[in-house]
Amino acid sequence: MTDYRCRGVVRLLAVAALALLPPVAQAGRPVFEIEIRGHLFHPSELVVPANTKVKLIVYNRDPTPEEFESYELNREKIIMGGQRAIVFIGPLTQGEYPFFGEFNPKTAQGKIIAQ
Amino acid sequence: MYPKLDESVLNCRSAAALLLLGCTPFALADGVVVDKVYDPYVQPLETEIEWRAVGMRDDEDDSLDSLQLHRLGLGRSLSDRWFGEVYLIGERNEDESFRLQGVELEAKWQLTEQGEYAADWGLLFELEKERDRDEWEAATTLLVAREWGRWVGTANLAAIYEWGDDIDNELESQLRMQTRYRLSEAFEPAVELYAGQDTLGIGPVARGLQRLSGARQFYWELGLILGVTDESPDQTLRLLVEYEFY
Repeated sequence: MTDYRCRGVVRLLAVAALALLPPVAQAGRPVFEIEIRGHLFHPSELVVPANTKVKLIVYNRDPTPEEFESYELNREKIIMGGQRAIVFIGPLTQGEYPFFGEFNPKTAQGKIIAQ
Repeated sequence: MYPKLDESVLNCRSAAALLLLGCTPFALADGVVVDKVYDPYVQPLETEIEWRAVGMRDDEDDSLDSLQLHRLGLGRSLSDRWFGEVYLIGERNEDESFRLQGVELEAKWQLTEQGEYAADWGLLFELEKERDRDEWEAATTLLVAREWGRWVGTANLAAIYEWGDDIDNELESQLRMQTRYRLSEAFEPAVELYAGQDTLGIGPVARGLQRLSGARQFYWELGLILGVTDESPDQTLRLLVEYEFY
């Protein structure tokens, strides 16, 4: 393949990569809240609607940082002590999605239940 | 908590990226195109030590055959949106033993919250200086990632400017893309594509993460990129290992 053709392929792929991205998502999603207190998640189980993107506000009431971590949800988010963070999750198919606090993994555990 | 980017801003960014692609002649930076596909995310408090290496083989081009490029980096998040890293860059080939080639500064800016919009966006800024030559390189890279269930697609579009007394001043660009399947935390298969003037390559990549005690983790990537054009290196083996801690 000549260099000229190679450049054409590159430009085509680059434009396609951006053009294929769909429009941005809409606002007005369901909002849920979780608190971290004493290195525990409250509530430790949270039911959310399946097939819907939801906004999760995680309040860290402890003075130390914690990380909301879940491979199943493909999310990791550090919440500094005394602050809050927003985690967007889903849309999820029906099922259970465990999460944990990486700084206190033995105590800080929970799961999202999509139904 | 964070400044929000509304839909019109994101659409303007997409339009600007498309305009940039239309106006910029695609060309390879005078270095190695196969390197790493960046995600647009930043975690506060994170510190990492990173080693990246690429090794090439090419039957037709002696300058590429047996060329190795190494990067040793130390990075730390500067806030919940910015991550900075400094690299030492080393090189060796068939004729020369390993030598320190240059240094690089890098800053990543996470623009949107993960999952908030249809795609996640970030920017990467890089500044590189050759050690023994008056050669500079600055790059701005648009980082985009999107999930489709267990699949994740990531694209990096870079605009690169090189200048100095020992190099022709020129504007160049690169494209890197990755499609990854989230099989398990310890092992995820992926396919990567790298494109520039002299390189068009595609190949399989694997990555994985091993958690250690005390919120530390070990992360690795290994890939083999096969040249598609005559000008591309026949094979490029790439390796990344990273130790992360807080």
